[in-house]
Amino acid sequence: MPPVIQFSDVVKVYPLRAGDVVALSHISFEVEHGEFISIMGPSGSGKSTLLNLMGCLDTPTYGDIFISGIGVRAMSDVELTNLRRDRIGFIFQYFNLFPLLNIVENVSFPQMLKSQQQVDEKRAVEVLRAVQLDEHLYTHTPLELSGGQQQRVAIARALINDPDILLCDEPTGNLDSKTGASIMELMIDLHRKGSTIIVVTHDPNIAEYTDRTIRIVDGRIAE
Amino acid sequence: MTGIFWEISKRNIRIHMLRSSLAMLGIIIGVVAIASMGILGNTIVQEVSSSLSSVGDSVIVTPYAGGGGGFGGGGGSNNMYLTNQNFQQIKRSVAPNVAIPVMSTSAHMKVGVGSDDIVAAIYGLPPDDTKKLLPDLEAGDYSNGNSGCLVGTTFAKDHNIKVGSRISIGQNGEYGTLRVTGIIKERGMSFDISTDNALVVTKDWFENAFDRSNDELNEVVVKVTKGDTADIKTTIEKQLNRNTKDKTVSVIDSKATLASIFETFGMITTFVTAIGGISMIVAGVSIFNIMMMSVNERIKEIGIMRSIGTQKKEVMSMFIYEAAIIGVVGSVIGGLLSIVAGYAISSLMFRTTEYLFTVASMLSVAEGVGFGIVICILCGLYPAWQAANLNPIDALRHE
Repeated sequence: MPPVIQFSDVVKVYPLRAGDVVALSHISFEVEHGEFISIMGPSGSGKSTLLNLMGCLDTPTYGDIFISGIGVRAMSDVELTNLRRDRIGFIFQYFNLFPLLNIVENVSFPQMLKSQQQVDEKRAVEVLRAVQLDEHLYTHTPLELSGGQQQRVAIARALINDPDILLCDEPTGNLDSKTGASIMELMIDLHRKGSTIIVVTHDPNIAEYTDRTIRIVDGRIAE
Repeated sequence: MTGIFWEISKRNIRIHMLRSSLAMLGIIIGVVAIASMGILGNTIVQEVSSSLSSVGDSVIVTPYAGGGGGFGGGGGSNNMYLTNQNFQQIKRSVAPNVAIPVMSTSAHMKVGVGSDDIVAAIYGLPPDDTKKLLPDLEAGDYSNGNSGCLVGTTFAKDHNIKVGSRISIGQNGEYGTLRVTGIIKERGMSFDISTDNALVVTKDWFENAFDRSNDELNEVVVKVTKGDTADIKTTIEKQLNRNTKDKTVSVIDSKATLASIFETFGMITTFVTAIGGISMIVAGVSIFNIMMMSVNERIKEIGIMRSIGTQKKEVMSMFIYEAAIIGVVGSVIGGLLSIVAGYAISSLMFRTTEYLFTVASMLSVAEGVGFGIVICILCGLYPAWQAANLNPIDALRHE
């Protein structure tokens, strides 16, 4: 089985008028199935660029990226979008739920994109139960929920298409410590069940929950 | 999959109800302007058409009145009348169609003893031809003697004239007295003779009363029952206007004139509708503005959608649905209101609504509605395209 993520000598350069900015320089690493990894580094180190490349939101300037053995460098926008939809689950710091949709619709959204069909409530309820959200909240809208509840909904949305990877961008950054801890417990639970989880964070306490930490400094991996 | 994006579009319109309603109002005004102008133009055309269509098969021959304009005309003769010889030539050239000689003048007259002095047109027609030229009577019968006359319906109503009434012609009745034998049905505007406000007498009586000879005809009306009016016109012109420098007659093909009138009305209707279209373009600009606002407000949402696997075309569809909903709802309301406006305009201006539910009027409404929807969708295209082509990373960072 190929690694879930494989970076091979990846370089990312942003061409700007004032001169090219090298955000990532010759990055190579692999993430195996079932790993729970944190990515840490100071501001401007290249964490976000790395996350965007892992999430197929961007393509490398040089080098190759493979997601579950599939090379993404030459992929079209449609193919990258399908890859994000089918193999990657995103969890954001600010939850990023759709305020116009209720909880079940929010969770079902990626599944509806994939199946091109209407809401499958059964599957949505299944993942919502897995993230331990109270059932009476299912028909509410995101703004009627607390931060912790919204993050559970966001995790359920990320899980609904059974992705190969969960990419988390500061998942507890907008939560109080107690709620943050409960979210991390949920992550550990998902990891135990076999999910591959990558958490981008600057919080060492969060990194302690993970099996391995990749540190980025000035666009390079600092082991 | 249409479902969820359709649902998001509907809900977005609902939460921005005031803004969406104002955009719809613009479209409603645009559709009402276009459709009601179309209905108005169509009603005018139908109204005029109903007045003129009965004379659509006539060719009218009058004395040539000069054609060059300016001082003294352009070289043609200026005859007052057509001669009997002219008439006979016309009659022969148009056979088997009927040629009817017409004499006309205007005169003072009085209805009954001590009534006010009236001035009206009087036509003199051969009794045998009167029925051919004026086939429909509202009341009474055709005159079978020299002292009988027919009167137009408006003339009869205005002066309270009934069958059997007597009209003395001349300021002091010096031309004689006529008895009304029949009332001519309303003919409206016409190219041959306008009888609604006139008297029709026998040609013999007319000649005697007004001292006219057989060589003093005002016009000849050819009722075309066989052949084309344009061909008849050409035949008459060839026959009577052999000398191109010194023409004898002017010939009017009523069908061609009608076509020209309708064409002019059509152009006026198109022009007026185009003015209505300006309001639709203004409404379109408003839709464009609102859609751009909607895109700008939802950049982050678009970024989230794109990051979790929404295709560009799906993002685009969401905004096009929004523009389409505003367009369809606004245009349908506008279409219904334009029927109400058309009803009001028809009632007030023409005192009839019989032309409101005609195919042409309904087509104007459909055109207005269709134009409204198309404008909305077109104005939603660029904002939708812009939304779909946002960079997902930049969109996600947007605050």
